[in-house]
Amino acid sequence: MKRMIIRRLLQTIPMLFFVSVVCFSMIKLAPGDPVLSFVTPNMHAEDIERIRHNLGLDQPAYVQYGIWLKEVLQGNFGYSLVNHQPVLDQITARLPATAGLMGSAILLAVLLAIPLGLLGGANRNRWVDKTINFFSYLGISVPLFWLGILLIYLFAIHLRLLPSMGMRTIGVNSAWDVIKHGILPCVTLAFGFLAVYVRYIRSSTISQLKEEYVQIQYAFGSNKRTVLFRHVLKHVMLPVITLLGLSMGDLVAGAIVTESVFSWPGIGSLGMTAVRGMDYPLIMGITLLSSVMLILGNLLADILYGIVDPRIKGGR
Amino acid sequence: MLKRQTSFIVLILLTLLVTACSSGNNAASPSASAGGNSPAATQQAETGTPKDGGSLIIGVASDPVSLNPLYAGDRVSLTIDQALFAPLFQVNNGKKTFYLADSLTASADNLTYTLKLKDGLTWHDGQKLTADDVVFTVDSILDEKQNSFLRENFFVNGNPIKAVKVDDLTVEFKLPQVSPAFEATLVQVSPIPKHVFENEASIEKSTKNAAPVGSGAFKFKEYKTGEYVTLDRFDNYFGGKPHLDSVTYRIAKDTNAANLALQNGEINVKYLDPQDVSTIQATNNFEILPYSEGRLAYLMFNADSNTGALAKKEVRQALSYALSREEIIQTAYTSGEYADPAKSFLTPDALFFTNDVASFDNDPAKAKELLEAAGVKNLKLRFIVQSGNKAQEAVSLYVQQKLKAIGVEVELQNMDSSAWVQKFIDLKSTDFEIAMTGYIMGYDPDAYRILYTSTGSSNYARYKNTEVDKLLNDGAGEADAAKREALYKKAQELVADDAPIYPIAYTKTVVAVSKEYGGIDEAVLKPVVIFEDLSKVYKK
Repeated sequence: MKRMIIRRLLQTIPMLFFVSVVCFSMIKLAPGDPVLSFVTPNMHAEDIERIRHNLGLDQPAYVQYGIWLKEVLQGNFGYSLVNHQPVLDQITARLPATAGLMGSAILLAVLLAIPLGLLGGANRNRWVDKTINFFSYLGISVPLFWLGILLIYLFAIHLRLLPSMGMRTIGVNSAWDVIKHGILPCVTLAFGFLAVYVRYIRSSTISQLKEEYVQIQYAFGSNKRTVLFRHVLKHVMLPVITLLGLSMGDLVAGAIVTESVFSWPGIGSLGMTAVRGMDYPLIMGITLLSSVMLILGNLLADILYGIVDPRIKGGR
Repeated sequence: MLKRQTSFIVLILLTLLVTACSSGNNAASPSASAGGNSPAATQQAETGTPKDGGSLIIGVASDPVSLNPLYAGDRVSLTIDQALFAPLFQVNNGKKTFYLADSLTASADNLTYTLKLKDGLTWHDGQKLTADDVVFTVDSILDEKQNSFLRENFFVNGNPIKAVKVDDLTVEFKLPQVSPAFEATLVQVSPIPKHVFENEASIEKSTKNAAPVGSGAFKFKEYKTGEYVTLDRFDNYFGGKPHLDSVTYRIAKDTNAANLALQNGEINVKYLDPQDVSTIQATNNFEILPYSEGRLAYLMFNADSNTGALAKKEVRQALSYALSREEIIQTAYTSGEYADPAKSFLTPDALFFTNDVASFDNDPAKAKELLEAAGVKNLKLRFIVQSGNKAQEAVSLYVQQKLKAIGVEVELQNMDSSAWVQKFIDLKSTDFEIAMTGYIMGYDPDAYRILYTSTGSSNYARYKNTEVDKLLNDGAGEADAAKREALYKKAQELVADDAPIYPIAYTKTVVAVSKEYGGIDEAVLKPVVIFEDLSKVYKK
């Protein structure tokens, strides 16, 4: 297991290098010019050229990449082109908000998906199953931003139960305040994943219930609940873990939308601003971070896989 | 074993959640002003006299780029800096209001301007604000290494304007040659504290910008990236103690969500898009205030495209005749309430503005006549449009349809906004003829020189008229107001007749202010920054 982890971690190095080259090339190939985010009509051409030169943007792209890579290898992710603050500081300042949102959304999705999926699978085509199915299809088809706005309208404007935006009430610093602000974005982000997980768990429950070991358990006199939660669950967890690893990418994408709608101060909204301003040091920093998260997420899934199913231990 | 491992993972997830939630708890303690925006807290008697206390929340669309006025070019930074850093003076309708300055006088030869500061000014940290700070600020702007946006404005024909300290309260500005636009340059300057930035190698990247020390009505309290910037009342403000205890700029990136937050009382002041006005108005909780931004929206005719289609002024006039200003305003801004029809290239807030100039409008027959006289047939034009820009998309379709009526074919080229900007500002791009855009240039007409002189750095229309060149260049160096007026009046007439652009409208911006607040008139609604002097706003 240890060797597998080390090998996989070493593999991330060329992967990250590849990601950085592709990302940098895409930024440079895309139309637009980062200097333009500074330009106002009453600015003189000399000022614009001076800014371009000072930012090193008058150099060829491969030179710019080389300089960036050299700095990154020394642990310096550079400065944002737009606000001149260190990239790493900006990312670390926003990371907790995103990690909290993603972590809680995934947790919520998994914790709800397991009982709902088992319930649906065990009661195939009955009204419980049909109701769960209905909401699953809804969750898969509804766009996040729309759901977010709907929830704001309902819970913040209409019922006045929850705040509509941000992570804190201004000037208030309590964990409860943050949690209150986090409920709507967390539910929004979790909804889509919940739907997908429920569908998977439901279908694997159905196929597991046909297995011989289930019949044997019933023959030994186990009741339905014991069979489902003690025996079927263990088998059902396997695809869920794979799904978790795979959904890391969607999670990052979902977080960007959710953070924008709720003005949640995380990496996603920072990334959106960076892309609009073609702020390449910041875009690169965020891309690398997302890649690391994806890779580690998948690694974690594989490790978990080995734990849940000892046959796969060692990455074989 | 299995159980322990799974619970370990759950523990990690929980830890992530908890650390995220508690981060930032070590910051400032809860302030008394928080929660003042709940409906229960605001049921106070409504009176006409200003009251002290309370807080105001202004919704902004993004994080500020820089809380240092030397580097603020974006709307949000300029808005926050307006409250943090007092300007020397401001100009409205040609009249000066003095802030840090007490007076500004020009010498008889107009080469020296003497600025007197008010006595007893202090920075937010208690240090005295003197002539040294003003000189330091101007020197920093001029210092090429410091990279300020304002630098080129402090040069007249390549020579710098110098600031010299006379005594603690007096600064003299020495101009290399007569330049009446100098006042419009100085109006953009808000001094930064010398004692804070004196030995900084790069003021732009200085960590001191994270906790700015200003001289405005409100002092810096807290900035939570992606969330909000909070400022507290500055009791020693020279204009008198501000009424509000604090002002918060809340960052809300999604317009729809921000409008809901406005209705919910989580935001008290916010810009509105014209199409959202009726929804907000219906709540009856807001004053809807449209005001002029000094902005001209226009169609630009590229005179130098590779087909040469728009090189002749008669053709440009013909295109203008084919369009109706009123219809375009309806198309782009839903109603005439938020846009006044424009004819001149100057905006109404500019000195010497006149809308009494030639205008080619809504006469398709005349348009056809002109095209025929110019011997132009089967004209094909390319209109570049920013994808997703509703006003541009709507107007481009309108133009396509109207020009078809006079036998001109228009091809719409939709593109990403950054690609559009790159093409538009590149003075060498020749593969398009029409674009819709706008500008805010400030109140001195000299600012427009870079747009309408043959060699101007922002002459996007590639407009060439030697007579206009001479008028605009002479206007820049003419100290006599009457003579200057004559020059700019003539320039407006000539440019209107040459039709390098089709002026559409002087657009207004719309701000919604909660009815819980008063003193809006005294605070003066100002282009870009919303309030000129926030110290006058109070909670009813």
